[in-house]
Amino acid sequence: MSASLPSTSPFPFPRFYNFPPFFSRQPTLQTHHSQLRKWSTLILNYCRHHRIFKLSLIDALDTELLYNKSLDKRMGIGEVREVVEFMRKEGRAEWAGEGGKGVGGNEVWIWWRNPEEWASLFYEWVDDTAQKHTVLTLYELTESEATISQEFHGMDPDLLQKALSILVKRGKAQVFGQEDQQGVKFF
Amino acid sequence: MGNSSSTHKISAQDKAILDMKNQRDKLHQYQRRVTVLTDRETAIAKEMLAKGDKKKALLALRRKKYQESLLAKTDTQLEQLEKLTSSVEFALVQKDVVFGLQQGTSVLKEIHKEMGGLDHVEKLMGDTAEAVIYQQEVSDMLGGRISNQDEDEVEDELEALEAEVTGVPLPEVPTSDLPHRERVKARQRDQEGVQGTAMLA
Repeated sequence: MSASLPSTSPFPFPRFYNFPPFFSRQPTLQTHHSQLRKWSTLILNYCRHHRIFKLSLIDALDTELLYNKSLDKRMGIGEVREVVEFMRKEGRAEWAGEGGKGVGGNEVWIWWRNPEEWASLFYEWVDDTAQKHTVLTLYELTESEATISQEFHGMDPDLLQKALSILVKRGKAQVFGQEDQQGVKFF
Repeated sequence: MGNSSSTHKISAQDKAILDMKNQRDKLHQYQRRVTVLTDRETAIAKEMLAKGDKKKALLALRRKKYQESLLAKTDTQLEQLEKLTSSVEFALVQKDVVFGLQQGTSVLKEIHKEMGGLDHVEKLMGDTAEAVIYQQEVSDMLGGRISNQDEDEVEDELEALEAEVTGVPLPEVPTSDLPHRERVKARQRDQEGVQGTAMLA
């Protein structure tokens, strides 16, 4: 997936990642809740570190995120879904299926920044670099060398569209041009 | 998507700039693709050399060379495109500047018109000078009258004084001697006392 440009440095896993019960569903309600919370933080931090915008659950099952090789412990798909559902309720994840209604699907948006936050980030960057009223291509925003230091570099195009449409609604940007050759002008 | 905000419009220039920038992006993508290809050719050449197939290795290297020349060509094209884009953007800025200047000039003209032209100002300045001169004359006249009045008053006072002098007799000069000597002695005594205290100090 083009969205996941892996960062070079390895992700520093938290201590509880090496704690075996962390990988199995806790029966006590309270413990389970805190387990969900910890998983949510871990997934958010992991995705932020590797700049993953959209997570494919099936693929992720075999990655270090959900599979601790040294412990030989892994998360089951059901448990992961539970975590994702928990994150969704907290506004930190969203099922990425058709029309955003693909509940229980395979792909999940991980909102370590939600679209609104991305929108503000874009706007701030444009403001800082004095590029208001300048035409920028969408490709340029996420793929050019000018944005390599920015967190939105390499962003999933769908997410880019989402974030920009928020700015368009606020009247702070205008997206134009043909399909897959679009540009944007910020105001 | 296009009609969500009416205040910010996308002009034809914006579209032209977008086209150029898209072209630039395409060249970028093309360069990336060619870079991947050259890397692959190098890998192939190495592999063939390891197998001992020199001919194929050479072929791969030749392909790589050709692709590198393509890269150089696209570089110059990119430069052209970027130059043109910058010129267009700069021209737009210039247009804004000219517009601003025009606006400023028309405002300035408007203000000048309100002032009524050069002749009017000249006439106004002449009038002002005349008024100042007139005012000067008035004050001179008033100033002269005031001093005449003063003169009269002074003369009156002098007359009054003279009348006083001539009218009232002076007191008589005393004829008796002044008590002179005793006073001198007393003064000497005083001085000696002062000197004595001064020496003690």
